[in-house]
Amino acid sequence: MNALNTDTFEHYASELPPEAVKLHVQNLDFFYGKNQALHGVSLPVVNKGVTAMIGPSGCGKSTLLRVLNRIYGLYPGQRAKGTVMLDGENILDRKVDVATLRSRVGMVFQKPTPFPMSIYDNVAFGVRLYEGLGRAEMDQRVEESLRKAALWDEVKDKLKSSGLGLSGGQQQRLCVARGIAVKPEVLLLDEPASALDPVSTAKLEETIVDLKKDYTIVIVTHNLQQATRVSDNTAFMFLGRLIEFAPTAELFSTPRAKRTADYIGGRFG
Amino acid sequence: MASLRRARRSIANVAFTGFCWIATAVAIAALALILWSLLRQGVGGLNLAVFTQSTPAPGSPGGLLNAIVGSIILCVLAMVLAVLVGVLAGTWLAEYGRDTAYAQAVRFVNDILLSAPSVLVGLFVYYILVAHVIGHFSAIAGSVALALIAVPIITRTTEDVLKLQPTSLRESGVALGTPHWVAIRKILWKSAGSGILTGGLLAFARISGETAPLLFTSLNNQFFSVSLTQPMASLPIVIFQFALSAYDDWVRLAWAGALITAAAVLAANILARVVTREPRRS
Repeated sequence: MNALNTDTFEHYASELPPEAVKLHVQNLDFFYGKNQALHGVSLPVVNKGVTAMIGPSGCGKSTLLRVLNRIYGLYPGQRAKGTVMLDGENILDRKVDVATLRSRVGMVFQKPTPFPMSIYDNVAFGVRLYEGLGRAEMDQRVEESLRKAALWDEVKDKLKSSGLGLSGGQQQRLCVARGIAVKPEVLLLDEPASALDPVSTAKLEETIVDLKKDYTIVIVTHNLQQATRVSDNTAFMFLGRLIEFAPTAELFSTPRAKRTADYIGGRFG
Repeated sequence: MASLRRARRSIANVAFTGFCWIATAVAIAALALILWSLLRQGVGGLNLAVFTQSTPAPGSPGGLLNAIVGSIILCVLAMVLAVLVGVLAGTWLAEYGRDTAYAQAVRFVNDILLSAPSVLVGLFVYYILVAHVIGHFSAIAGSVALALIAVPIITRTTEDVLKLQPTSLRESGVALGTPHWVAIRKILWKSAGSGILTGGLLAFARISGETAPLLFTSLNNQFFSVSLTQPMASLPIVIFQFALSAYDDWVRLAWAGALITAAAVLAANILARVVTREPRRS
């Protein structure tokens, strides 16, 4: 295996001031029943930046993302070992309340998943669970979230109509709006553009770049150009291991591991 | 060669289509015959008295009021019990139990119950409730027996439609920080609503015509009664009793009762169609 050893990334992390690291994954193993899907993954996720995860299908990048908000906990038989520090607190600890964790670490999925309710209620759904906002405040929150997701102008006249009536690209931006309405600190994006056409993808990417001013973003993508366009740091994964982690420009211009070079050079995957 | 093959293919096509057509026609003809005889025999017996008077002695004027009201009470109470248990059980199987050994066992038992003869259910409730707990025939025992028949249907359909909901819908609800239970209630049940309602209606259609379990439980009552602790009249039992009798007026009432039962099931189905109609997308 020509993986760089874990210390390389620990070194990278230790060069950063502690407050610059929002999430710190350390020695993470993950199991689907008896199958081990992640092997000792360690990497820092930089605060208020975009971290991209790339690699061929089945390399574990989505699995890693699903650990960061413990969504895997829905399924008996899936478990994670290791530590994931969020602002100095291990989120894999049993004592952590997962609902609160997920309100801090939001997620947008590959396929748009609007809830069967109005556009307004879609955005307000999560907010209502955690905050008792008055009508005017809620209106404001909904508008602000839709604006940040670059959807406001297209839906402002039909907030009461069903979210299912929007186009695919609009639905996905609605899901982004819904995710940021609860004001999370971290936003996880699992191939958010893979079901979208190029125009919608471009809009979504603009949104991502815009959002990084306020949020820490982790994005899983199959699209290497997308990774270079939106991310600050990139992690390359292969067969459940982290092969390389570096600033995006550096990883794409001077990859240190041969596998990384092969993958970004299009020789496999 | 090619033309021969083409000819054979088109003959096979015609034969298969014809076969499907005949099979459909047979099924529809049976249904049409049932409806036709129901209408022909039942409409004659329908009059205001059917809905305003209770079941008569042979030869006296009377109607089916006690049986109609009895059936409504028995079915509504049974559905309340069954929906409560069935929807929760189906939700548990689909969302929490999944493939655990306990869930598999529950699913297996539920499937057995689904096809259990209703007379067994009646006997079971008779033995427990009528013979030992309450001590006499009563409406509540009848409702429990009907509920036991409806529960497995509702459990099964609820589980099935919940499993049909996309995983990502469930996950994106939970990913917002919604507790799993709230995500089920506010998102999944809403999204699966029409399917769950259909299951409930299937169950309602099934129990509204059940006779066997009522024979041992709510029995019959020739007087108007809404007391849950007393025996209660119901349409299927009255139809059973009257249709087999030698009195013409009783037989006429039995047909009218059958027509009313069929109409009620049909009305419930139409209502469900209207309620669950997909909202038009913009």
